[in-house]
Amino acid sequence: MSVAGLALHPFSAPKSLDQALALLADRAAKAEKTVLLAGGTDWFVERHVAPPETAGTLPLVVDVSRLDALRGISLDGETLRIGAAATYLEIRRDARVAARCPLLAAMARDVGALQIQARGTLGGNLASGSPAADGVSALAALDATLVLASTRGARRVPLASFYTGYRRSVLAADELIEAIEIALPPEGSPFAWRKVGTRQAQAISKVAFAALAVVAEGRAARLGLGMASVAPTVAFLPATRALGLSRPLATITDADVEQAVLADVSPIDDVRSTAAYRRHVAVRLAQRFFGELRAL
Amino acid sequence: MSMETKITLTVNGSLVTLEAPPAARLLDVLRERLGLTGTKEGCGEGECGACTVLLDGTPVNACLVAFGQCDGREVTTVEGLGNTAHLTPLQEAMVTEGGAQCGICTPGMLLSAEALLRERPRPTEPEIREAIAGNVCRCTGYQRIVNAVSEAAKKREARA
Repeated sequence: MSVAGLALHPFSAPKSLDQALALLADRAAKAEKTVLLAGGTDWFVERHVAPPETAGTLPLVVDVSRLDALRGISLDGETLRIGAAATYLEIRRDARVAARCPLLAAMARDVGALQIQARGTLGGNLASGSPAADGVSALAALDATLVLASTRGARRVPLASFYTGYRRSVLAADELIEAIEIALPPEGSPFAWRKVGTRQAQAISKVAFAALAVVAEGRAARLGLGMASVAPTVAFLPATRALGLSRPLATITDADVEQAVLADVSPIDDVRSTAAYRRHVAVRLAQRFFGELRAL
Repeated sequence: MSMETKITLTVNGSLVTLEAPPAARLLDVLRERLGLTGTKEGCGEGECGACTVLLDGTPVNACLVAFGQCDGREVTTVEGLGNTAHLTPLQEAMVTEGGAQCGICTPGMLLSAEALLRERPRPTEPEIREAIAGNVCRCTGYQRIVNAVSEAAKKREARA
């Protein structure tokens, strides 16, 4: 590509969240398309694969990467708030995330390589809606809530209710993802983060698995699971979760876990892996985590 | 129709006011509008790291950054390190340790390593390998590059 390649794209860099929301509302009212740009780690790749040819139908690119309201990480009581445009690098380097949400820190260390971590954001990962999204898998295990903002006000949507299908979500045309909120588990809660890919850096996951549990008296009082690249959206593994929550952990066998996971996933063959391999890995990753919980 | 935006940023220590399409890739603006062709395009998809530059001191892929996102920011390219007559300790070590062969990955590799050394003057081998994990090299097998970065850390310390 050259400078000319993307020269036709209209572009806007609003200075505040209010400005951005007003712009979004205006365009949505006129049924004009808008693309929100944060780290660009998906958008530029798509443009590279299929460069724009004509100006007429190009959406307005709105840079949200530097909006203060979407940046930063804060801890309010037991709720961790991650700005939608906070980068993976900021997340992995944050002392509060490391101490209180090590699952998120582990995931952020594993996304791409440093160059991608320096640009990529959870908001972008959520909005692009890839079923292979590492960040979304971790947020699924953490039962995260998304703060969606528009000129109509803010609403909180649990991640479990956000996606409606492959790369489809309840995000309205005039809305943006402002932040992610996580109700923190007690310190030291058992978790798992495992990314299975072709190499350690850069590879898109064949399967990624995130899990978090709060265990008391041999039972899981809280259990969150997220798995990437095994379904049209990041999978919450509801049968596996119900299994874990419904019985004393000591009574849950590997065979029980296998049956539940196989009911939860529907992987496909694609360029990165096969459905058979993904099913195998999905079962083993979940079994390993249940084994760790039984051994507590 | 080509829509252009005027932006002021710092490139290799100098303030530059530039007019370019805001959605254009930083990579293309550096190469075509500023003549800084040390920054290479490899994959154009953020996988290979050949176009790595420092944005406010942090390595990024210049193929994934919009020019319009660079207002007021600091960009360092390989031209902002040493030159043939005055090599930095890192560049010197890349030469003496045989860390460069075909050369396409070298500018990006240098910037990833430079950012690491600025942050961690005495990096461990795993830290070096993680820092350059986003820079693909098809010639060296990486060991000589790792050696070079490690050697550069010693040189920098000796000069400090």
